[in-house]
Amino acid sequence: MQGGYANRGLSRYVPYLLLAPALIYLMIFIGYPMIEGIKLVFYQNGGFSLETVHRAINNYYFWPAVKDTLGLAAIILPTQLLLALILALTVNKVFKGRNVALTLLLIPMTLSDIAAGLIWYSMLSPSGFMNKLLLNLGLIHAPIQLFGYQFHTREFMVIVFVELWRSTVTIFVIVLAGLQMISQEYLEAAEVFGAGYWTKLRRIIIPLLKPSIQTALLLRTIYAFSIFGIVWVLVGRDVPVLAGEAYYQVTQIKDYGVGAFYALLIAVMSLAIGVIYLRITRAEYLEVKR
Amino acid sequence: MNRKILSLFLIGVMAFAVVASGCISGGGSTTTSSSAPSTSSSASSTTTKTGGKVVWASTQLVPPAERAFILNTVLPGFKKQTGIDVQFVPISYFDLSTRLAAEEKSGKVTIDLIGDLHGAMDYYQSQGWLMDLSNMPQLKGRTFISTFEKYAMIRGTKAYIPWMSATYVMVINKEAFKYLPSGLTEQDVMQGTSKWTYDALLAWAKNIYEKTGKKELGFPVKGLFHRFLHGYLYPSYTGYEVKKFDSPEAIQMWKYLKNLWQYVNPSSTTWDEMADPLLRGDVLIAWDHTARIKDAITKEPDKFVVVPVPRGPKGRGFILVVAGLAIPKGAPNKDAAWKLIDYLTTPKVQAETLAQTGFFPVVKEASEQLPSGPLKVLAKGVAAQESTSDALVVMIPNLGKYGGQFGELYKEAFRRIVLQGQDPATVTKDIGAQLDKLFQEAGVPLP
Repeated sequence: MQGGYANRGLSRYVPYLLLAPALIYLMIFIGYPMIEGIKLVFYQNGGFSLETVHRAINNYYFWPAVKDTLGLAAIILPTQLLLALILALTVNKVFKGRNVALTLLLIPMTLSDIAAGLIWYSMLSPSGFMNKLLLNLGLIHAPIQLFGYQFHTREFMVIVFVELWRSTVTIFVIVLAGLQMISQEYLEAAEVFGAGYWTKLRRIIIPLLKPSIQTALLLRTIYAFSIFGIVWVLVGRDVPVLAGEAYYQVTQIKDYGVGAFYALLIAVMSLAIGVIYLRITRAEYLEVKR
Repeated sequence: MNRKILSLFLIGVMAFAVVASGCISGGGSTTTSSSAPSTSSSASSTTTKTGGKVVWASTQLVPPAERAFILNTVLPGFKKQTGIDVQFVPISYFDLSTRLAAEEKSGKVTIDLIGDLHGAMDYYQSQGWLMDLSNMPQLKGRTFISTFEKYAMIRGTKAYIPWMSATYVMVINKEAFKYLPSGLTEQDVMQGTSKWTYDALLAWAKNIYEKTGKKELGFPVKGLFHRFLHGYLYPSYTGYEVKKFDSPEAIQMWKYLKNLWQYVNPSSTTWDEMADPLLRGDVLIAWDHTARIKDAITKEPDKFVVVPVPRGPKGRGFILVVAGLAIPKGAPNKDAAWKLIDYLTTPKVQAETLAQTGFFPVVKEASEQLPSGPLKVLAKGVAAQESTSDALVVMIPNLGKYGGQFGELYKEAFRRIVLQGQDPATVTKDIGAQLDKLFQEAGVPLP
């Protein structure tokens, strides 16, 4: 009898004990640096100060960096989601060469963003492969200039293109996994009631895919806010982005306060977007809904 | 049930222990490594008392490959020749100046030899920490390049012996010589005669564009381009790096650069070093740091030549990065340190240093020791630049933590005037004021 009480007493703490290692880990590697970061931004000469924030916001590159980072995310994410859905729906069917297609699709995922950036820079530079090919085919008479401060829109589009090429597959993999988990019974039942492809897609597949889409979008948005390597390799500061500015301020200017401000801004944006996603894309269970 | 909970509890504790021990031992290892220098320095001070060991603290040749060259090639060679042991201590400028300050103040000096840049030596000398080397025995069999000797004399004392140098040069793809503008010859460019001017460079780039339709001149705007602005264009047009930042001469210079930019490859804003654009054929003429174009020369030594930079109305401004060797006052082993200086500046070791690290010799005889090939191409170009009669040598100002902001201000002026087309007079006035403030805060006179 007494043993039972002890058991109940102990079992109350088990979840906390099991969570403790992860929590301690997070506190050391996320919490502590974050507090130090906040201190770097807001703590100066022994007190609270907004001087660093002013310095960061008044920097010429601040607003362009915010605008370009959000702009890139706004174009890249929906396009990637659409492409990933189409790809996943295609690959989910059984056809000849499906495995080869899957492997080919997965290759860009194995590349680091720096490597992808370097590859595409050599492909797209004025004397690169693409220009040489088009010149030799007689399709153009002078190389197409895609890089340079004067060509902001072109540089922006190059980044969008390389990001789509490189990271659409991240969403694709998650969506495909979600698709494969959808029970055939639902779809067969729908067919019995005479539902066509579009109805099945709209009423069954997409709603059931919501948890996967949510995870994929959450991950990708956080990555999109901290986009850096590809932009830095391809165009440098011609298209300024938040993470790029954080890097530049710390390594080149040695202004750790402003660098930390950029990092904090990315963290806050990611957190906010995480909350929004969790609210708007709740999972739906067919049985529960009606 | 009881057992189940107990085992779960144990798992939790073990996981916690793993993480905690990781953290603790991680912390522990940092302490060990940070205490390592003090242990080694105390060990070295004991050896210094007992035998002839030289403690050489250097802020240069710190990266692993360069350090390996010192440890595996230079120091064994020195030991073989003299029998003297050397302890090489790679150190940062900040740590070295703190350590020197403490040692000089307490009178317990453990460092015998310092290897550092000119700017740092200037500071150490101003603090009275360096020995005057004028009365040391002569270093035979070598002729120091006079520019370096001149700089090593600081406030009337011989503060250091020149050791290595680096600079920024122009690289020309030989193909470009086909498009030389009238009045400029290949010899003019190779030797840096008075005809090799910035206007001639503009005429050349324009000619290439008109003949080929391509903009074949390039700069590393993402990389060290600010050095070109403050160390090359500004001195060549105004005579100074900063002093005449918003003068009429400076405005003339910015107008020139804007004009030149019409023929500069627009991708320049995305390049951080020029070796790749040169090798890819994106440009035929480029300016960059010697270490950042070395790759192009090593890969295709027959295709490229290294030449002096052009000159402007006030002379041929260029930056010299000079590293020197100095002996601190009260060094326990100064004679052995002098022997090491002697060894490091022999033509043979100087040539080896260039081959292994990309730092250039400071003695004339060293280039004779070089095998023909890429290094000779590089060394010849650098020597040609250093010995031009209108040379206007400048040093990178030693601004400490303000160094990054200094470069950034020049890049900002460039962006606003050349890329965004703002009025040079307004921009130079605005940025000139910021530069003045920066130098005041750093306590450094305007160069």
